[in-house]
Amino acid sequence: MNAFHIHYRNTQGTLMRILTAVSRRGIEIPYMHAAASGPGHRADLLLEVNAKQIGQLCRDWHAIVDVTDVRVGTPTPEMMEAAAGFAGPHPPASASAGGRSASAAMA
Amino acid sequence: MLRGAEIFLQCLRAEGVELVFGYPGGAIMPLYDALEGSGIRHILTRHEQGAIFAAEGHARATGEVGVAIATSGPGATNLVTGIADAKMDSVPLVCITGQVRSALIGTDAFQETDVFGLTLSLTKWSRLVRSIEEIPTVIAEGFHWAREGRPGPVVIDIPTDFLKAKMEFSGPAKFTPKPRPSDAIANGAFADDVIALLQKAERPVALIGAGAKLSGAIPELRQLLDSLNIPTFATVHGLGAVVPSAPYYLGMVGMHGTRAANMALHENDLLLVFGARLDDRVTGDPSRFAPHSKIVHFEIDPAQLDRVRQCELPVIGDLAQTIPAFHRKIKNAKLPDWSEWRAVACGEDRAELDPRGLSQLTVRFLDELFGRLPENSVVIADVGQHQMWAAQRYRSALPRGFITSGGLGAMGFALPAAVGVQLSKPDATVVCVSGDGGFQMNIQELATVRRLNLPIKMVIVDNKYLGMVRQWQQLFYQRNYAETDLSDNPDFVEIAKAYRINAERLNEDAMQEYPVTQCTADALERFLKSEGPELLVFDCAPEANVYPMVPAGAALSEMLFEED
Repeated sequence: MNAFHIHYRNTQGTLMRILTAVSRRGIEIPYMHAAASGPGHRADLLLEVNAKQIGQLCRDWHAIVDVTDVRVGTPTPEMMEAAAGFAGPHPPASASAGGRSASAAMA
Repeated sequence: MLRGAEIFLQCLRAEGVELVFGYPGGAIMPLYDALEGSGIRHILTRHEQGAIFAAEGHARATGEVGVAIATSGPGATNLVTGIADAKMDSVPLVCITGQVRSALIGTDAFQETDVFGLTLSLTKWSRLVRSIEEIPTVIAEGFHWAREGRPGPVVIDIPTDFLKAKMEFSGPAKFTPKPRPSDAIANGAFADDVIALLQKAERPVALIGAGAKLSGAIPELRQLLDSLNIPTFATVHGLGAVVPSAPYYLGMVGMHGTRAANMALHENDLLLVFGARLDDRVTGDPSRFAPHSKIVHFEIDPAQLDRVRQCELPVIGDLAQTIPAFHRKIKNAKLPDWSEWRAVACGEDRAELDPRGLSQLTVRFLDELFGRLPENSVVIADVGQHQMWAAQRYRSALPRGFITSGGLGAMGFALPAAVGVQLSKPDATVVCVSGDGGFQMNIQELATVRRLNLPIKMVIVDNKYLGMVRQWQQLFYQRNYAETDLSDNPDFVEIAKAYRINAERLNEDAMQEYPVTQCTADALERFLKSEGPELLVFDCAPEANVYPMVPAGAALSEMLFEED
């Protein structure tokens, strides 16, 4: 897993452009957090990618008009914990209805 | 007080816009209402896809920003293919889409679509306008990003109520981008590194892509190539950047490139890439692409680097700066003698197998047609076999002399694009080459051609198949011609006549004689010299194939020259 920190100006669609650079490659996003950071915003992503994809993603992000900086880092424990949760049911199971899962109830 | 629509149009004029292409509808009506007297000429196409391809034709022929206008909902979604095309081929484009009233956004109102959302991954930049006050700044910023760096498409989606609203207008806005601390541009020192690689190279080559042309540095590029005097070839979008008669020029490279170009690209030990992204049509099997090569990549857009193969030396920056900087250094550098390598790469045994196209009558036809064109001509090719034949045979020295949808490969591109080209270049001979499949994808634009009496010379290479797909079916799917048969095509001559456009048919038998008979020569001359629009349908052998061909997944050295 690699952590990516993308600094951007929070203009229309910029966060979505950051995310579609990932989704167009069929890569899942186990962890994502975006918030104001200094004068701009920062999105933190945790992705399972190979070395070639790291380069491609960083360059694609950098090409987005309002992205100001892209960094690759080590995942924090918080990220890893969230990513571990990602391995659970997908989509998340509903609260049990009479002890049965939502999908079972529908069936 | 001015209406938002009037402000919008004044801002377009301030960006230098004189010509726009579009199709009106409900949400964009206020803009159309304000058009008269705005100083902007609007060209009504017969489909929004026609409008955006025409805008692309204008942009590709001139280098200016093309502008396409459509209404909300289906009008906007019909632009999507053109937006994707402009993204792939780096075409500066501003698309203006009407949107439902701002209060209705998100309610699934009549003709409401999330244009902003659905074009996010296709655009370089986009905005949903949120107030009348935003109009000047959004337009200034949109045009800036369409032109800046690697050009591309921009979408401005404007709710209809902001076009109707009024405000005091103090004039168009100016946009200055905020600097990005992480932008790394090559400085002059890179040239020493490239020269060091050249001094060690035994088989250097140069690959020219669209970026070299977009930079505008064609004279500088040609001087540099003359100084280097190394085997040189071009991508389909790089055609016209190099003078075709240059002794070191080997022609087009890639899937249907020349034997000499593909072999040189396979064998070189140093590859200088000028503004090309090295896509799969150029590289063949990436794992076997230029196996002995070190790559120096001159590129304005860092996102294009290392997509297929890691380059040894990226030179990031506008080629208008990096090429002259490199050339200045080259002039004083001592470089090896590469005459032996040049003799191999440009040698007779790698020349075209059939330079006159005698074995392929469509090629003969194109040679006869192109050989009669004046120097200022622009050839626009659609997508398919005829596109590759045209790319192989049209040898223009004009950087913007050959236009096609190369990256996206959007059938139906050529006819509307030719409309945009002819309007931008009224004195040029504009030739539109289509297949029978692609022509029918935007055949309605014959009405636009007729209305404007544009003297476009339209050619349909009619093989009654979706020819390129059929060729692949023949070569790689055991001749299973699934759903590519167009033998029930309409009579294109009669269709053209219904649009009050002169049309003729030429059978490929007319190309059997070399040189062609006086009668055929006269027909071609008549076609090209007519003052109005003309259509020429060339009946092509149904199973004619484009060769050479590098099969998908093969190395560039594994070209086919005939069916195995």
